[in-house]
Amino acid sequence: MNIKFVARKILASFLTLLAITFVNFAIFRMVPGDPIRMMFKDPRVSIEDIEAMKVKYGLDKPMMGQYINYMKNLAKGELGISFWQKKPVGKVIAERIPRTLGLIGLSLFLAVVIGTILGAVAGWKGGSKTDSAIMGISMTLYSVPSFAFGILLMLAFAYHFAIFPLGGIETPASGFTGIRKIFDIARHMVLPSFSIVLWYIGQYILITRSSMKDVLSQPYIVTARAKGVRERRILTRHALRNAFLPLITITGVNIAFMTGGIIEAETVFSWPGLGRLFYDAVMKRDYPLLQGCFLVFAVAVVILNFAVDLLYTRIDPRVRINGEAVNEG
Amino acid sequence: MRVNSYKLQKAGDFWAMFFSHRMGRTGFLIFCFFIFLALFAPILRTVPPEISGSADRILTGPDGISWLGTDDLARDVWSQVIFGSRVSLIIGFVTAIITVFTGTLVGLVAGFKGGIVDEILMRIVDFFMMLPHLPLMIVLAAVMGASIWNIVIVISIVSWPSTARLVRSQVLSLKERPFVEAIRCLGANDITMMMSEILPNVFPVMFAQGVLMVTETIYAESVLSFLGLGDPTTISWGTMLHFCFESGAMARSPWWVFPPIVCIVSLIISFSFLGTAVTDILTPGYKEKMGY
Amino acid sequence: MKKNLPILKFIAAALFIITFSTTAFAGGAQESGAAEKTRLNVAWTAGQSLDSLIIDENWQYLEMGCTLWQLCYDQLWIMGDAESGYAAQPMLATHWDVSEDKRTWTFYLRDDAVFHDGTPVTAYDVEFTFEYLPASDPAWDMVDFYYESMTVIDDYTIEITMVNPFGMPYPPMYWAPILPKHIWEPYKDNFKSYENDHMLGSGMYKIKEFKAGQYVWLEANEDYWGGAPGVDEIVFKIYGAEDTRNMAIQNGEADMVGYLGISPLTIEDFEDVEGIDVLISPDINIYWLNFNLHQKNGIQDLEVRKAIMHAVDVERIIEMALVGYGEPADSFVYKELEWYNDDITRYPYDAARAEAILDAAGYKDTDGDGVRNEKDGSGNMSYELLATADVSEEVKAATIIAEMLGDVGIDVQLKLVDTDTYYNYLYTPDEDYFDFSLSTEGPGPNGEWFWDFCRGWDNGGAGWNTAYYSSDEFDTAMDNMMASNTLEEKNMYRKEMQKIISEDIPYGIIFRKEIICPVNTAEFTGYTATMGGTSNWINPWSFLNIEAK
Repeated sequence: MNIKFVARKILASFLTLLAITFVNFAIFRMVPGDPIRMMFKDPRVSIEDIEAMKVKYGLDKPMMGQYINYMKNLAKGELGISFWQKKPVGKVIAERIPRTLGLIGLSLFLAVVIGTILGAVAGWKGGSKTDSAIMGISMTLYSVPSFAFGILLMLAFAYHFAIFPLGGIETPASGFTGIRKIFDIARHMVLPSFSIVLWYIGQYILITRSSMKDVLSQPYIVTARAKGVRERRILTRHALRNAFLPLITITGVNIAFMTGGIIEAETVFSWPGLGRLFYDAVMKRDYPLLQGCFLVFAVAVVILNFAVDLLYTRIDPRVRINGEAVNEG
Repeated sequence: MRVNSYKLQKAGDFWAMFFSHRMGRTGFLIFCFFIFLALFAPILRTVPPEISGSADRILTGPDGISWLGTDDLARDVWSQVIFGSRVSLIIGFVTAIITVFTGTLVGLVAGFKGGIVDEILMRIVDFFMMLPHLPLMIVLAAVMGASIWNIVIVISIVSWPSTARLVRSQVLSLKERPFVEAIRCLGANDITMMMSEILPNVFPVMFAQGVLMVTETIYAESVLSFLGLGDPTTISWGTMLHFCFESGAMARSPWWVFPPIVCIVSLIISFSFLGTAVTDILTPGYKEKMGY
Repeated sequence: MKKNLPILKFIAAALFIITFSTTAFAGGAQESGAAEKTRLNVAWTAGQSLDSLIIDENWQYLEMGCTLWQLCYDQLWIMGDAESGYAAQPMLATHWDVSEDKRTWTFYLRDDAVFHDGTPVTAYDVEFTFEYLPASDPAWDMVDFYYESMTVIDDYTIEITMVNPFGMPYPPMYWAPILPKHIWEPYKDNFKSYENDHMLGSGMYKIKEFKAGQYVWLEANEDYWGGAPGVDEIVFKIYGAEDTRNMAIQNGEADMVGYLGISPLTIEDFEDVEGIDVLISPDINIYWLNFNLHQKNGIQDLEVRKAIMHAVDVERIIEMALVGYGEPADSFVYKELEWYNDDITRYPYDAARAEAILDAAGYKDTDGDGVRNEKDGSGNMSYELLATADVSEEVKAATIIAEMLGDVGIDVQLKLVDTDTYYNYLYTPDEDYFDFSLSTEGPGPNGEWFWDFCRGWDNGGAGWNTAYYSSDEFDTAMDNMMASNTLEEKNMYRKEMQKIISEDIPYGIIFRKEIICPVNTAEFTGYTATMGGTSNWINPWSFLNIEAK
């Protein structure tokens, strides 16, 4: 791997992160009204108390000073105190991350597996009825917002047929441990992950189908077919392998976009992960928490993009060193 | 002097191909259907969608008076769906125009000027593309407050960069073409050249992006409204869903939940179909393959 | 084609197996695990959920906050349920004496109360709580805790001299958790610096597990002085939205709602369901139009406010927004209380009269655009009505009010914002964020604190007084009321204050909801409904009386 390329990417990612911290900082200074006053539910709060709270959150200083302060705290890993949970934002978020990663992991896995298989079938049978059926379904799925999916799934499988729980991550106050607990969580995961999967699956179908079609029209496949190589062997040895590359890119991009699906699904099913936390922070106008969540989402996306870039160069040596081809592919 | 050699297709060809494309046809039909609804909303047996009805008609199912039943203020769901199409289409188109215009402008300048200008603009574009979209929209909507135009602004801020990037790469490849070199030798200035030669060739990309933007906007509006960040004083498909969810009566009023979902989905599908058709047609080789 | 089928079949089979096995396994395990103990499941929405046990204003202002502490801590005395006529009942104090001037109170504590860690509850704990709780938490900085001196006479007797006379009819020191001094002593200057993970009190229940945003698991305090409660466990379950919460009660996941009841739209889902009873009671909250008298426009004109009150058809609001589950209201004092004033000025619905008042006062549509103009011709009578976007019923009520005012030529723009922004705007009327608002609050039967809503800003009323109302007449009446030491005298001033408000209309009181609470009667008895439903800030009784069948 080219060191110059990697260094360049690292620098770019770092600059982006820096800019993100600035945007993150600035947005929350644009809030109408007085965010500090919102922290107090009691209307009789005195001006002194408000001022004291401003000092505590460093909001009494001029903007530049506030930003420097913010960056200093960030460097120390401090994201402030949540207005609403009264705990350090970092702690609140850290607790939620594994739950969200679990949900993303399962959804992505299901989407890739099911999507690739269906896409491969569609591409292989290009032009047939199977193809158009799969295409039609996937485009329809792609058009349904995940929150709407979530609602429909919930109404169907948690209410009318109460097979799955209405939401949450575990049965409240169950006292389950070990394998029971794992099964309990798995059961709570089914509906939220499917509401995400059904949306992303469309992309995987489209992408696998088109790369499958590309590959099938390549001369070497035609040759292989002419030589009488078994169909399944062509499928697995040549076609799928070539479809693999765009899959990695789209997965990277998808994780970035998945932040959206995660927020919707976690909100509908009150899955206590980052997405629901973000939604609650918005609803309760908990600005430090909102800022923290946004930062986590943004940093995750930057890092993922960086990782995808690296992976891509590793797999496909044709990628130009300055990385242009990756983004414009 | 104009060099037409690179112009894509004649308009007639384009439409002929478009209508013979199955997806293009279907998408166009659905789209026309919604345009029809939006244009003729007042005469499609509707009542003003915001005005509450009488108390004995709260949450009634579909019947002869209200084709799609009523909501929790006895307002006609049918009228809300029809008038909601106006909101969705208007914000869809306005956002598409804003983002495509901004994106194209940035893309053209970056691609044409090159050098340091290009570098700076593209870093900005990169930066915006890196930001997680829905969270950014949610944060902006929460900070800016609920109004339909804020939603347009929010979606525009988040969505313009992808157009910029596509336009730029198109411009870059066009710049290398001999005919551009030729006019440049003839002494045309940048602006003239951009307007007369580059821009027309970027239109297809702009069009495809515009279509994509409309779908993304409709989607984003519905999500934001659902999350309670939409404009509660404007009846749109998103706010209909939001009110339904908030009312606590969603499970017992399917006639209220399904119409907005069906509309959102079919309008997005129609635009996806349109987009696919246009992309197919503009793909080099399609014309020959289809025998035009 | 046939070749593809095995793949699809495989996927379908795999999904089916995953689904089935997880369901069967987890479901089965759940039943066997919960069988030995009786457990009352209470359903809450996420917006009501308490997410930290730190003692702060959420214990007062958040639905779950003001319910939970009452289960884990004892109070000095407690307000009785509806059947007792909301009379003061002994709790930690078995009885009390009061001096002639009604200012010096002696409370005699029971000697068998212990905290969850076994330490006895003494008068020193009571003294400690009243000394530091109001100072540390402004939410308890209430008239009930304004004392001049406190003396611990012996371990189980405390004498408190109040600034104002009390006992008409309630004793002072209402509604506060008695905290264990030995735990809180190090944090007495700032109670918020203690995490309070276990909510260690002397109450009927103990915290077993607290998972922020998910559930609160309470277990019975077997050593409670009043005997162990009738259930072994209470679980507060938190649901993402009202819909899911209601579904949970329908499918038996939960036995009752935590607070505020269900939407009247869904009552049919619970009526005639076997094992579920629907209890309906009047709300503790009262709704009103909060006029912002700081605004320099027609709202300042009493005639305009009168016209608005006449133009609002309260019956229609109740029919539409509450589906009939509500009643008109016209005072901050509940109709069922002794000091409710029958003789106040009322503004019955009469649109023609509203128009006549506006015409006579000079608010005419001079530019012919269908909207009346301000008296000085400075523009349309176009006012912003502030309401919370988060509560469906309030959005509906505000929508209808806007329609009705439109009918008499007043243009109303709805300003629907999230709850926090709403209060931020409401509490700062001097910033002119709104012209009038749809507001609500629950004075409770012991509503002395509530009159601060009307005390003039320059007379110490800033804060509660969200109407920016100022009247010397009212302030004098209020001071007299606070100072009076007989019930008759006090009630006279209470009635006078109601009269003044009804004439000046800083707050145009319009309606009171009914709270609808579905409860599982198949497994439990003892649900106790007061004003505000089976569970609310004056009513921990359901949890204290509940028994498994």
